[in-house]
Amino acid sequence: MNNAIELSGVGWKAGKSFALHDVSLRVPVGSIYGFLGPNGSGKTTTIRMFMGMMKPDHGTISVFGRPVPRDMKQILARVGYVPERPHVYPALTVGEQVRVHASFYELWDRGWCNELMDRLGLDPGQKIARMSKGETGKLLILLALSQRPDLLVLDEPTDGLDPVVRRDVLSAVLDYVSEKSATVFISSHLVHELERICDWVGVMDHGRLVAELPMQHFKNGIKRLRVSGAPETASDVPFTILSRHRDNGSGSVETWIVRDWEAPMRYYFDGVGATVRDVIDLDLEEGFVELLRASRPQPKNGS
Amino acid sequence: MYRSMLFLHWKQIRHALVLMIMASFGLPLLAVGGLGTPPGLESASLEAYRFVAGFQTWLAAFPALAALTGTALALSAWNWDHQVNHVYALSLPMTRWEYTLQKMLAGMTLALLPAAAMWVGAHLATASISLPVGLQAYPNELAVRFLAAIVVSYAALFAMAAGTVKTTLAVAGVIFGFIFFGAVANDVLAGYYAYFERVHVVAAFIEWIVEGPGPFGVFAGSWTLIDV
Repeated sequence: MNNAIELSGVGWKAGKSFALHDVSLRVPVGSIYGFLGPNGSGKTTTIRMFMGMMKPDHGTISVFGRPVPRDMKQILARVGYVPERPHVYPALTVGEQVRVHASFYELWDRGWCNELMDRLGLDPGQKIARMSKGETGKLLILLALSQRPDLLVLDEPTDGLDPVVRRDVLSAVLDYVSEKSATVFISSHLVHELERICDWVGVMDHGRLVAELPMQHFKNGIKRLRVSGAPETASDVPFTILSRHRDNGSGSVETWIVRDWEAPMRYYFDGVGATVRDVIDLDLEEGFVELLRASRPQPKNGS
Repeated sequence: MYRSMLFLHWKQIRHALVLMIMASFGLPLLAVGGLGTPPGLESASLEAYRFVAGFQTWLAAFPALAALTGTALALSAWNWDHQVNHVYALSLPMTRWEYTLQKMLAGMTLALLPAAAMWVGAHLATASISLPVGLQAYPNELAVRFLAAIVVSYAALFAMAAGTVKTTLAVAGVIFGFIFFGAVANDVLAGYYAYFERVHVVAAFIEWIVEGPGPFGVFAGSWTLIDV
């Protein structure tokens, strides 16, 4: 078993408004997988699919090699989950919520939980209803980590948190991962947040997985090229062209946004009688935006 | 796990449940409180008649309190789950039927509290009065019937409240639709067929549900604490 999570051709339709289209993704065991996408792109729906909360119309899902939803009980015993919206009961205190949650997990680590509670500055006697968003976020992380999970599923865990709390939460996750070698699946629309911690990245848009690649490729492989004398149609290109357009007022110079770029590929242009004038690195956010732009249907001229 | 479910349910309903426990305890005392031996009564049979008649004015309150308690327990059982779209429950390492069963059992356990209060209250009530000749007290039977009625109303509404708001509204709509349109249709049909003048279909159906053989019969049986 090389993949902690595996989705194959998963589709789901919610009326006319939203659908997942043949989503296939693989999360390698031990990886930190960043799941990027704008709001409403299908990130949470995909998570709910492999968490067994929703049933796909078609396709297969497995977690740790076990089929979903058949083996959900065994799967969920190994999964720590932080949902998009807090799911803790506001009438309880932190201590009560911890005790309630602990009763469902055999591997619950009380010592680690107490240590983490101190580190995150959570008061066991505090009522959840009176906690700030940041404190609630810390509590959710505390609950997920104290289960000692093999897989952490974090759905926008730092959304709306201030930078200090965000750093506390992410460092707690990273400490746990380095100690336990757990797999982390973290969804976010904050590109820079994932850039620092993830080694794999999947990009969702409009219910489709538009890219899945190692973070290193994502960071280094998306470039903006300025090309002069480019052929009308590019064939047998060794990289993926995300977009190309002619620069205004600069004659035959075009700007190409490409993926999977490596320096020796420059020679491709010599073969087609074109010249690469510049190769410009895109930061992750620019790359992300270009990737989304390329995956969306282009508006027709004049429309 | 069961203890956690019980704790969560208790947290949801504790304020309402304390009121219901107090009402369950106080109702038998209230029912016999206005009794005692009225002055000037010479005949023992008249005294017994007055005694029973006095108690009977409170009779409807017993099944009503049981139904109210069962309803409150059922609605509170799913309240939090609905608020968080069942995400917490579905992320726990247990099957859906295990979760539902444990939640159901937790509610039934809580139903024991008002039933126990009723039992204590009924015993105190009967011990506090001297019963006229020919009358007997049934505090144990009353408490058991009270518990059974809570459980029946809890079970029926627990199943209904487990669904989405849409499902619950659909089921409630069908029931109320049947009662409303059934009543109207019966009146229309009564103009053409004499049979529908004699028999009101909806009333007969409700009577069949409550008084016929079945779990709802517990509401229609004898709720008397004191009887001959």
